[in-house]
Amino acid sequence: MTTATIAATTPLAARGTRHANTASPMQRNDSRSAWLFIAPFGVFYLAFLLGPTLYMFVMSFFNTSLVHSGLGTFAGFANYAEMLSRPDFWSSLWHTLQFTLYTTPPLVILAFVFAVLTNRLNRGQWFFRLAFFLPFILPSATISLIWVFVFTPSTGLWPLVETWFGVTPGSGVLSSPNTAMIGVAIATVWWTLGFNFVLYLAGLQDIPRELYEAAAVDGASTWAQIRYITIPMLGRTTTLVVLLQIIASLKIFDQVYLMTSGGPGISTQVSLQLITNTAFTDNRLGAGSAASVLLFIVIIVIAVIRQLVDRSAARKEA
Amino acid sequence: MAAPHDKEVVNEMAMSNGTLSRRGFLAAGLGAVTLPLLAGCSSDLGRTVASGLFGTRLPSETLVFWNLFGGGDGTRMQAMEAGYRKRYGADSLQATTFAWGNPYYTKVTLATVGNKPPDVAVSHLTRAKPLWNGDLLEPITDADLASVGLKPSDFAKRPWDAQRTDGHTIAIPLDTHPIVMFFNRDVCQKAGLLEADGALTALDDMDRFESALEAISKVTGGVAMTIPNVGGETATEWRVFWTFYNQHKGVSPFLSDNGARLTVDEDVFGDVNDRLQSWVKKGWVNKGLDYATAESYMFTGKAGLYLEGEWEITTAQSVKGLKFGMVPIPTLYDQPATQADSHTFVLPRKDRTPEERHQAMLFIRSMLDQSLTWAKGGHIPAFRRAADSAAYKALSPQSAYASAAEHAVYDDPAWYGGSGSTFEGIVGAQLGLVQQLAISPKDALQAIKDQLSVYLNTPSPL
Amino acid sequence: MTISAPRMKSPVSAAAPARNAHSGVSGRTFNVVAGIVLVVFAILWLIPGLFALKTSLTDNGTAALGASAILSDWNPTLKSYASLLGAGDIWNWYIASAITSVVTAVLTVFFASMAAFALSRLRFRGSGVVLLLIILGIMIPTQVLIVPIFKELNAMSLLNTYWSVIFPQVPAVIAVFIFKQFFDGIPRELEEAARLDGAGRWRVYWSLVMPLSRPVLAAVTILTFVGVWNNLLLPLFVLSNPDLMTIPVGLATVQGSYGQRYADIQAGAILAALPLIILYLIFQRRIVEGVTGSGLKG
Repeated sequence: MTTATIAATTPLAARGTRHANTASPMQRNDSRSAWLFIAPFGVFYLAFLLGPTLYMFVMSFFNTSLVHSGLGTFAGFANYAEMLSRPDFWSSLWHTLQFTLYTTPPLVILAFVFAVLTNRLNRGQWFFRLAFFLPFILPSATISLIWVFVFTPSTGLWPLVETWFGVTPGSGVLSSPNTAMIGVAIATVWWTLGFNFVLYLAGLQDIPRELYEAAAVDGASTWAQIRYITIPMLGRTTTLVVLLQIIASLKIFDQVYLMTSGGPGISTQVSLQLITNTAFTDNRLGAGSAASVLLFIVIIVIAVIRQLVDRSAARKEA
Repeated sequence: MAAPHDKEVVNEMAMSNGTLSRRGFLAAGLGAVTLPLLAGCSSDLGRTVASGLFGTRLPSETLVFWNLFGGGDGTRMQAMEAGYRKRYGADSLQATTFAWGNPYYTKVTLATVGNKPPDVAVSHLTRAKPLWNGDLLEPITDADLASVGLKPSDFAKRPWDAQRTDGHTIAIPLDTHPIVMFFNRDVCQKAGLLEADGALTALDDMDRFESALEAISKVTGGVAMTIPNVGGETATEWRVFWTFYNQHKGVSPFLSDNGARLTVDEDVFGDVNDRLQSWVKKGWVNKGLDYATAESYMFTGKAGLYLEGEWEITTAQSVKGLKFGMVPIPTLYDQPATQADSHTFVLPRKDRTPEERHQAMLFIRSMLDQSLTWAKGGHIPAFRRAADSAAYKALSPQSAYASAAEHAVYDDPAWYGGSGSTFEGIVGAQLGLVQQLAISPKDALQAIKDQLSVYLNTPSPL
Repeated sequence: MTISAPRMKSPVSAAAPARNAHSGVSGRTFNVVAGIVLVVFAILWLIPGLFALKTSLTDNGTAALGASAILSDWNPTLKSYASLLGAGDIWNWYIASAITSVVTAVLTVFFASMAAFALSRLRFRGSGVVLLLIILGIMIPTQVLIVPIFKELNAMSLLNTYWSVIFPQVPAVIAVFIFKQFFDGIPRELEEAARLDGAGRWRVYWSLVMPLSRPVLAAVTILTFVGVWNNLLLPLFVLSNPDLMTIPVGLATVQGSYGQRYADIQAGAILAALPLIILYLIFQRRIVEGVTGSGLKG
C-alpha cells in the first residue's frame, strides 16, 4: 500500500502526467535535504496527529483522570465494556444516524437543483453563490446563535411564520425531544448546503457541452436532458457528496452543542458530545478515550468504504 | 543560445515573484508578531496577548470572578458586583457568567487544570466537594476568615457543616436554597385552606395534606399540585423525592463512600413513589408537564400548589395580578426535611500573592454583606448577620419559609453527584417516568441501578 | 481522498454561463421558471441572516418582544455594536482569533508546502513510508483526538495559550496533498534550468516553485484561516479562560447576566462572522475554488 495507493486515489497523479517517469534533476544526494524539508511538518504530524492517535489507544485501557497527571491505574477492557453497554453510547450513535438521515436528502437534492438551475442562468450567478454559499464559511457559533434565536419559543421568527400559515406554535422546536434534532438539521442544511452546491456547479462544468448540443439537435426536451445527461453525469459528485456528508455527520458536534447541548435530556446528544462529557465533565479521560477509539473505528471504516467506492469509480472511468 | 536565455527569464520571473511572495510571508509573520507589541505591552490587552503567547500571568489588578447566574439571580449578582466596584474601584472586578450546570463546572475544572482559573468562583456546595476531591480548590483557613472579620459561627449551621470536608473549610456559603411549596392564594382560599391572617393552613400530616389536595382539586376541577417532570426536566423530580425520602426517620443515604455504593432504602423508595403515583392516579398531581407549564398552572389557578426551588419567586412576582405565597414543604412523614443546596464561594487552586488572597476574601466578604440583595431572589442567607436582621424578617414571602434551611438535606457526596449532575440526571429521569405512570417504582429502581452501575463500579477519577 | 483533483484553474466561477445550445421554447420557459424558483430559494436562504442583522440593529428592549416587534421596528440603532465593542471582551476574542488563525495558516502553508516539495521533487529512501503516513493522516478524524490532545497540551503546559489552538491544527495533511498535486503539475524543465544555474534545493523551492504556486498557496492560506477561525471544539476545551478565548468560543460560552439581550447576541454573531464575510467578498473566487478542489471541511 505505497505509491500504488496514491496513484489510485489521486486522479491527477494517476492520469500519468508528463513527468511520471522522467528522472528528476535533483535525484542525487536528495535524501538529507528531503528529510530536512519534511522535518518541520513531520514534527507536528508526529506530535499532534499520530502521537495523540496512539496515545488515545493507550489511554483507553487506563483509568486516566482529567485532574491528575499520568495514566492512572490499568483498566483492561473495562472502559470498552462500559461504553458498549451504555445506552447513551448507542443512543448517541443513533442520534448521529438520525441527523444523517434528516440532512442528507435535502443537502443532496436541494444542492443539485440549485446548481442545475443556477448553471442555466446567464446573469446573477454571483448572487446565488453568495446566498447559498456564504453561510458555509461562517462560524458554527454565528449559525447557532442565529437559529436558536429564529427558533425562540412563541416569540421567534419560526413561530411567527407558523402562525402566518395557521399553525399554532408549540413549546418550541428545540425544546421538544421529538423536534429538536429537526431544528438542528434545518440549521445545518442552511449552513452547509453551499458546499454541495459549489461541488455540483463544478461537476456541471465538467459535462461536455456537446452532449447537450447533440441532445438538443435530437429534439430532447430540457427535462430529458437533465434526466438523461445531467443526473447520470453527476453521479460521481453525488456519491462524493453523500459520503462526505456521512463522515461529517459522524463528527457533528458544534451545532448540537450550541443549539441544544444535547437536550432536551440527552435526546440529541451525539457521539463527540458523549466523549467530551465523559472526558471533561465526568473527569474521565480514559473512558472518554475508549469512546473516542470506537468512534474513530467507525469513521475509519466509512473512510475506507469511501476509498473503495472512489477507486471503483475511477476504474470505471478509465 | 536558447537555454541561457530561458534560464534568465525563469530566474527573473522566479526572483521577482519570489520577492513578492516572500514579502507576503514576511508581512504575515511580522503582523502576527508585532500585533501584540503594537497592542502595547503595558495595556491589559497587551498583557492578555502576552499571556496567550507565553503563558504569563493575565493582568491581575482586577479580581476575576466566575459565576453561573442567569435570570433574576444574574441581575441581583450584577447589583452586588456593582456594590463591590463602588467600594474598590470601577476596574477592580472582572465578572464572567457561564451557562448553568455541567458546562460551568467543566469550565472551572478545565481552567484550574489549565492554570488560568478565576480568583473566586461560585459553586454549589454539592459540586464544591468533587472539585475539592480533584484537588482543584484551596482550603480556606480560619486566618483567612479572620482577615476579613469572619468566623465560622457567622454562618448557618447546616451549610457550614455540610461544606466542611476532610477537616477543611472548602467553600463559604452564601445561601441555602431549598425546594419549597408555592401556593396560589385565590385557589387555596376557595379550598378553605387559608387562615384568617392569610397564612396557609398547616398541612404537616399525610392525611391532612391529602385532604387538602382533594379540596384544591375540587376547586380547580383538575390537578391540585404540579411538579414539572417532562421536557428534559430531571432535577425537580429528584428534589421532591429526596425531600420525602429524608422525612423518614433513620433512612440510609442514597449513595455511600463518595458514590461507590448504592445504599438507598428500597422500601422507603417504593413507599414515596407509590404515594406519588397514587396522587397522580387520583388526578391530584399532574402526569406530564414541563417546567414552564407546570409553573403556569399555579400562576393561572389551574393548580393550587407548585413544588419548586424558591428562586422561582422572581418569575412569580413578575406575573401581574398573581397572589401567591411560599411555605416549606409540609412534613408528611416522621420528621421535617427539605432537599436543598447552597451557593458558595470557592478559591480555585492557583498561585496567589498574599495580597491577592486577601482581596479574594474581601470580595467574598463584600458579597456576604449584600446578602439581603441576594435574599430578594428567594435564597435564604447563610450569613447570620443577614438572616437574623430585622430587614430580612420583614421580607415577605421570603421569611415565611426561612425555617426550611434548618432542615436542609443536601445530595449525598459523590464524584458524579450534586446539583445538575449526572446523578441527578439519571435518577431524576426515572423518577419522572414514575410520576408519568410510565413505569412502576420497582422498575425505576432497577433502571437506576443499571444506569448507575457504570459510575458505582468505576473508581473515582478524582 | 477528499481531493478529487485540485481545480485551481477556476472551474466554477469562470463559469461559462448558461448553455444556450438548447434555446427551444421549452428551454426558455424552463429558464424563466428556473430563475423564479432560484430567486425564491435565494431569498429564503438570505432571510435568517438578514433577520439577525435587523435584530442586531434593534433596541434590546424591542428585540425582547419578539420577531413581529423586530420586523415592524424602524428605529435602527448601533447601540448593541457599540456596547459590545466597548466592553473589551470582544477585542480579546478578536485578537485571539486573529493570532491563532494567521499563525496557523502561515505555519501550515509553509511546512506543508516544504513537505510536499520534498515528496514531489526529491527522491529519497522512505518516501513511500512518508506517503503512506500522509494517507493515513488524511483518514484520521482530528476531532476525535480532542481527549488525547488535551492531555498532551496539559503535559506541555500549553493549555490556555494560543499555541494550544495553533499547534494541533498545523499538521493539516490535506494541505500536503493539495500542494503535492499542484507541484507535480509544474514542468520540470524550469527547475532543471535553475539547477544548471547552480540554484540549491531551497532556492528552487523558495524562488521558483513557491512563486509559481501562488493560486494554491492563496487557496490553502485562506481555507486554513477560515477553518481555524471557525473551529469550536478544540478551543472550547483548551481555552477555558474568557480573556484568551477565540470569538466563537467566547460568544458561545460567556453569557450576559441581564437575561436575554437578543440584539446584543445577534450583534455578537455578526461580529464573529464579519471578518469572514469581508474575506469572502474579496476572495470569493479563490474560496469557492479552494473549497471545491479540496473539500477541506469536515
